[in-house]
Amino acid sequence: MTVFHLLVYLSLLVFLAAVIARVVRIARMPIHLRWELYPVPHEKGRASYGGSTLEEVDWWTKPRQVDRIGELAAMIPEMLFLKGLWEHNRPMWFGSFALHFGLYLLIGELALLVLSGLLFIAGVAGGILDILLSLILILAWVGCILGIIGTIIMFYKRLADRKLRLHTNASHFFNLLLLGAIYLTGLLWVASDSSYAANVSAFFVGWMSLSAMPALPAIGYWHIGCVLLFFVYFPFTHMTHAFIKWFTYHDVRWEDQPNLPEGKMQAEIEKLESQIVTWAAPHVNADGRKTWVDIVSETGEEKKEK
Amino acid sequence: MSTQTKIEPKRITDISVPSEQLGHVDPQDLMPLPPPYDKIEELPGFKALTEQQRNDVEATFDDTICVGVPKPKSKEEEEKLVAAFLKGLEKLFSKENNWTFLEPLVLSMEHCARCQTCVDDCPIYEASGYNEVYRPTFRSEVLRRLYFKYIKPGNPLFKKFQHGDIELNWTLLSRLLESSYRCTLCRRCAQSCPIGVDNGLIAREIRKIFSSEMGLTQKDLHEKGTVQQLKIGSSTGMNALAVKDNVEFIDEDMTERTGIKVETKWDVEGADVLLLHNAGEFIAWPENPGCFALLLDAAGISWTLSSEIAGYDGVNYGLFYDDVQLAKVAMRHFEIAKKLKVKKIVMGECGHESKALGVIADRVAQGVPRETAMTLIRDIVFSGKIKLDPSKNDFPVTLHDPCNLVRSMGVVEPQREVLRYIAPRFREMEPHGVRNYCCGGGSGFAIMSQYNFMDWRLQIAGRKKFKQILDAFANEDPGPETKKYVCAPCSNCKGQFRDLFDYYGAKEKSGLYYGGLVELVVNAMVDIEGEFLDWDMM
Repeated sequence: MTVFHLLVYLSLLVFLAAVIARVVRIARMPIHLRWELYPVPHEKGRASYGGSTLEEVDWWTKPRQVDRIGELAAMIPEMLFLKGLWEHNRPMWFGSFALHFGLYLLIGELALLVLSGLLFIAGVAGGILDILLSLILILAWVGCILGIIGTIIMFYKRLADRKLRLHTNASHFFNLLLLGAIYLTGLLWVASDSSYAANVSAFFVGWMSLSAMPALPAIGYWHIGCVLLFFVYFPFTHMTHAFIKWFTYHDVRWEDQPNLPEGKMQAEIEKLESQIVTWAAPHVNADGRKTWVDIVSETGEEKKEK
Repeated sequence: MSTQTKIEPKRITDISVPSEQLGHVDPQDLMPLPPPYDKIEELPGFKALTEQQRNDVEATFDDTICVGVPKPKSKEEEEKLVAAFLKGLEKLFSKENNWTFLEPLVLSMEHCARCQTCVDDCPIYEASGYNEVYRPTFRSEVLRRLYFKYIKPGNPLFKKFQHGDIELNWTLLSRLLESSYRCTLCRRCAQSCPIGVDNGLIAREIRKIFSSEMGLTQKDLHEKGTVQQLKIGSSTGMNALAVKDNVEFIDEDMTERTGIKVETKWDVEGADVLLLHNAGEFIAWPENPGCFALLLDAAGISWTLSSEIAGYDGVNYGLFYDDVQLAKVAMRHFEIAKKLKVKKIVMGECGHESKALGVIADRVAQGVPRETAMTLIRDIVFSGKIKLDPSKNDFPVTLHDPCNLVRSMGVVEPQREVLRYIAPRFREMEPHGVRNYCCGGGSGFAIMSQYNFMDWRLQIAGRKKFKQILDAFANEDPGPETKKYVCAPCSNCKGQFRDLFDYYGAKEKSGLYYGGLVELVVNAMVDIEGEFLDWDMM
């Protein structure tokens, strides 16, 4: 094992640890008050116009119908094709889609590289590996070209569109530059190395089996360096919206689970309501001992006039 | 509006820089309205704040004041307020104090891409002529920077690089507080966010820090609102005796106008339905509770009102600014329903009441089952128990979708099914349903008129809706001869339409009237001779 092996593993480790920590942190957050936003796509037969079960008289007496296929039908176009942006911000969609889809294709390439590495280590040779190498080459070409187009458009928009510029930080440009560097070095590597697929695949085999890695063209090292930097940087940025979106949609926007007598939710809520509240405003009337439920049970009503 | 030159902040950080005023709207910049409302010089002006007002309270955000926080008397007092805010900020991100919205808030704080996709969906931003201080992401970004600077652990330099810096001082806080009351919490922007970031929630949570930690609240929502409701019985100031008097008069008037005996029931134990109106109806739109009484009796439903404290007022302004007040009011409503042993609570024609009690309170306590009036009205209309003649509603009708009822609850179709049946000249506004525009009176704005705030909410917050209404009737005779009915099944929205139509003279110029859904149902009843709707009184 070389320093380079270690560097790759270390970057991956940082990436995985930070991503898992973020997911666990969000997943462990307490249940919150309902704050859904319609349309909710799992509302069977009603999602198309944004309706809900609450449109039914005595809705609590009727079985709750949750359409998971409907959820998928809403989520997949959003994840893959940025449907929301297409509907609400078309001028930005073209650049953003290219930028994101380029990345998806490179992630696809990574997955195929891992697969081909595993197959190679397992002793598989010939046909299937050749097909995988061809696919890897195609994904690298298309992903990098799309990514470069997307990066240029987004960079230009951030600079030229006043609406965006006023709310753009230094990190937005850095993020674009880093992604752009990944795409550009990737494209230069693919374009300049006639054995790109074989080389990158051999690199993966060497990395995964802790054996010698092939000598790569200089641009290859630049590309890998940019990718590793991205791995280490990404989990600490807002770009984590890529997977946190699952929570913003499932835990908030589409989260409409009612608190019914037979359900388990009430016990969880009671635990939260037994926490001590320390808000300091006079009307809250917290004294350092009162719990949430103590406080909200005080009404301060005047004696009723008869 | 004053005649000073336009002030356009260039950066988020400008909010901390002391100046006479951060933002200013020039009437020329406002979104144009169609004729006859297109001539600025013929429209009511925008009252300028007086020197006295500017001296007394903080007024450096824009041309108006909503909260009106007294100016700190010394630097030390300012520093104390800043320190209190920081404590509040910390509590806002703690599960002990803010389990209620912690996850949605953190998700919105940490994952915004600043793509600004949401901004064009904001009717206030658009109506103001895209004024930077009303951009829905402006206040969100200020809170976000404060969150990363003071709350979220991490290397300060990295955080500054990632999210930008901001200077926390009293200038920023006084403006941030006012700015949180330039959003109606309609959440239309949240709907268009591809990531799921919610600027409406952020505005509400800013209000919460100031209210729950610092006791800085908007008077109509707090002192006159939830506090009065819990103390006396209603945010209108009516105690039980007064409301019973009002209702007695309403019953008599309804009986006289319809020829059908109307008698409201009070505190009937074991009734099927506890009807919970927004108490504003008893004063401002008495025919609404009157029509409910008539319809429920005609349909043979066992129902009651409650005369307990807060039992005759379904409003819950806590929804707009403070979880403690929200939960106190909701708990009270649940207690009353349990005490009366009713089978369910039906929430009257009030959007925020429906959302607060029907959805939000669901996780405050396991209460009595609740449903909105929309479903009940639909069932009554299609039950066959009441004979209806749609031709009695032979005038143009459009429907306003209250944000809380539609976008936040998904109650979209019942009211439409009714209108499609009883109003032959019903037409939709565009866009409608869950993509509707707020009336401009959301988040309690409709009850706020102190200083010159009413000018702001009618000229800017309600502008988009006013235009939308005019557009909905564009194919009708534009004059007042053709009476046009805007059906608004929400007390808060009706309050805004009342002020909006008065302000622009829309009744006289365009024949615009507004009212609820039940009034149209009663107007179509065969058993009532002639017309129930009294256009002169509307």
